[in-house]
Amino acid sequence: MYLLLGHSNDACCQEVHASLASHHLDARIIASPLAPPARLRWRLDAEGLTSSLYPRLSDEAIEGVLVRDTGWLDPAGWDEDDLAYMQAELRAVMLAWLNGLKCPVVNLPDASQWYRSGVPLVTWRRQLRGAGLKLPEVVITSEPEEAAAFRRRLAADGAAGAVYAPLTNGSSYLLADDDAWGRLAAVQAHTPVCLTEAHGPAALACVVGDHVIWNGMPPPEALSIESGLRRFAAAAALTFIELAIAPVRGEPAVIMVEPRPRLERYDEPARARIVAALVAALRHGAAVDAPRVLS
Amino acid sequence: MILVCGGLADGVTELVCARLQDCGYPFRLLDFARFPAGYRLNVRWTDDGPEGWIATNEWRLDLADISGVYARLLGTEDRAPLPGLAPADASVLRTEADLGLMALLEDIACPVVNRVGGGLSNNSKPYQAIVIRRAGLGVPPTLVTSDPDAVLSFQKVHGDVIYKSASGVRSIVRRIGDEQLTRLDRLRDGPAQFQAFIPGRNVRVHTVGTSIFATAIESDAVDYRYSHLDGLTTRLTPVELPAAVNESCLRLAQACGLLFAGIDLKQTPSGEFFCFEVNPCPGFLYYERHTGQPISTALAELLRGRAH
Repeated sequence: MYLLLGHSNDACCQEVHASLASHHLDARIIASPLAPPARLRWRLDAEGLTSSLYPRLSDEAIEGVLVRDTGWLDPAGWDEDDLAYMQAELRAVMLAWLNGLKCPVVNLPDASQWYRSGVPLVTWRRQLRGAGLKLPEVVITSEPEEAAAFRRRLAADGAAGAVYAPLTNGSSYLLADDDAWGRLAAVQAHTPVCLTEAHGPAALACVVGDHVIWNGMPPPEALSIESGLRRFAAAAALTFIELAIAPVRGEPAVIMVEPRPRLERYDEPARARIVAALVAALRHGAAVDAPRVLS
Repeated sequence: MILVCGGLADGVTELVCARLQDCGYPFRLLDFARFPAGYRLNVRWTDDGPEGWIATNEWRLDLADISGVYARLLGTEDRAPLPGLAPADASVLRTEADLGLMALLEDIACPVVNRVGGGLSNNSKPYQAIVIRRAGLGVPPTLVTSDPDAVLSFQKVHGDVIYKSASGVRSIVRRIGDEQLTRLDRLRDGPAQFQAFIPGRNVRVHTVGTSIFATAIESDAVDYRYSHLDGLTTRLTPVELPAAVNESCLRLAQACGLLFAGIDLKQTPSGEFFCFEVNPCPGFLYYERHTGQPISTALAELLRGRAH
């Protein structure tokens, strides 16, 4: 039995489920893993760790787990404080349960990843740099003069322009004219702002184990950066991760990291290869022979 | 120069600042209760990492001059309102500022006590128990379950059993008694964590880089941190631990990515050690004041870049 932990409308869960079914392998998509019929018994003592989540399915019979979500709790019937407490409890328990499993888990989270999904790109910079990948310049500043200096520097270097990229959400705004820079200065009166370089058209790539799967035609520099993408995924201990690569001042740079890739963004051939690689990782662990690449 | 990020009203941050002053180590305080109001931040990330400065009207600190950062973050209730903003706008803008500062602390090259990622294992006690075991320390027999029958079986084997939250929320330890047994059906709403009660004395270990300070705690309370609530007393004394336990504690702190950690142990009457949890932001003031152990001095040395 394979467990796909995520919402039933998650395309990745759906397509992996379909692929496993086509191999005559049982799989279930589960949004709330700890809700009934679950009856968790997780024990850790001097003898080691044993666990059982479902009464009719021993944890030893679970062959692989795909983690797409930290688990959903129906808010109905809970007051606000108790709901927050229960959510914290369920997340804490799920993290431990996943880390005690002996089967392949994609992605097996550590605490840092489990509790910090959706972190901004700047948080990944150290690991991306360590993997030898290029990154766009970023400035976080409360100083209008420093923002203006960044603007001048980009212009002098022939960059496509500056982007305001709030860290509190994934949005970004091209600072196209003096009015936009003026509004930015008003924000800077209260908080530092995050600015980065504008970039060219982005190419999406998924790393699944040892495989780098591009959406559509790989960019010309693909070969030169694929080893860096693999190194980054390995350093982050993530079997399945998505990155967006775009030209920044003529060089390919990482402009987005997504530890929960969205299959909907990929064309059919790429989706098929991602799903095949995921199924292989679930069945055999991440270090598997490369699925045949379509050309 | 050392950067201290914390609330001036917080006793632990106050002690760190006082110790740095005693040692004659220059530092700047970023008062997290007020931040970002009154502070200016300018950080530029290039291929070589972050560069820039933090400033107030009184001082300016170049990031390249920082030898170490001590960060003890505050809850929202301890943050002053941002002047001239509606609460909702203030909340977003303050979060934006916090994330910028966190991004800097995550990537700055000097020692940071502690980077945010390192402390998150404390949000899941059973996960942390796995990490503790891997570091070579024993953990009390632990059961996390939504099955009332499993609790009864566990209690039958271990007799005295305590329960506590699996997350870091509502984290008070209580013994299982008759009253709790009548409420086991509530487990069906969600699992809880149970542990065999380990008799013996509590030992708090603070690791500071590669230095270790162990403190024995004698108390009649189940959770000595809250003994005063039950009218009970607690006595603290410095203690030497076996080398193997010291090594495991250092391994554990390193595995959690913590330059400074508070590790809760219990030593049984037969001399066995069990580990309960690792605190990434230890309130060491309590221990230092009772024992005189130079924890804050070791921390000051670490932040100064002179740790062993």
